[in-house]
Amino acid sequence: MPTQEEKAQDEMLVRDMKAGQMEAFDKIFELYQRKIYALAFNMTRNQMDAQDVTQEVLLTIYRKIDTFQGKSAFSSWVYRITLNATYMKLRNKKKEQYVSLDEGLPNFNHAGFQNEKVSDWSKSTDSLLFSNETKGVIEKAVELLPEKEKVVFMLRDVEGLSTEKVGEILDLTIPAVKSRLHRARLFLRKKLSSYFDEYQTRSSKK
Amino acid sequence: MICCKECIDLLCDYFEGTLDPATAASLEDHFKDCPPCVSFLETYRQTSDLCRKTLTPVEIPEPVQIKLREFVKNHIQSP
Ligand SMILES: [Zn+2]
Repeated sequence: MPTQEEKAQDEMLVRDMKAGQMEAFDKIFELYQRKIYALAFNMTRNQMDAQDVTQEVLLTIYRKIDTFQGKSAFSSWVYRITLNATYMKLRNKKKEQYVSLDEGLPNFNHAGFQNEKVSDWSKSTDSLLFSNETKGVIEKAVELLPEKEKVVFMLRDVEGLSTEKVGEILDLTIPAVKSRLHRARLFLRKKLSSYFDEYQTRSSKK
Repeated sequence: MICCKECIDLLCDYFEGTLDPATAASLEDHFKDCPPCVSFLETYRQTSDLCRKTLTPVEIPEPVQIKLREFVKNHIQSP
């Protein structure tokens, strides 16, 4: 959640901008361009697309500021505009892909207990966790997430917004945010686990 | 005792700290006796951390920053 000061600052800037003060827009540009670009880039993984989206969002903020009524935080409004512009981009080039997110769960026996070993790679060395190969695996796995899960994961876990804030931006209930987040994490965990297991096998053969 | 499947269903709430104390306690009891769930919990948590650290911070590349400033100048400040 933005702090009270940030909220107060946003409200002041919006008021000044509605009154036609260009400096207020410049300040908003400074405060928000990285947030807009980062979200667009993480959703599209494409510099050109992220640039286009950022430009569109800046233009929309400028043109539509009068329609912003302050029912939600200004930052939520900006995130929503960013996502709408991002969805348009993705829609134009979307290859159809269906991933079943049930894949994220381990095997259970009929009583609901896990019946195989779960490897714990969480304490691997930094040189493995932060290798370029791991980075590539993460980027690919995130790209496979369906849009609904991906956006929640990006806002909550990557950008670090609170669950409540994500609900406000996406107009979702808290349980709905959590269930999408959980599905995304399970799916990504599974992908990472397969990769680290395979890595272990590979390096033990050497 | 709650089963592994129930444990995993509750992980998100567990980390948000929104479980009622009794449920959280039964989850922790389960973890004491179930190494697979502990591994699952650790890797579940690490998944979020690792993805965040890998995908952030996104900085705007210099050429894009220049383009954005130009765009604002041409389309917004003096349209
Ligand atoms: Zn268990």
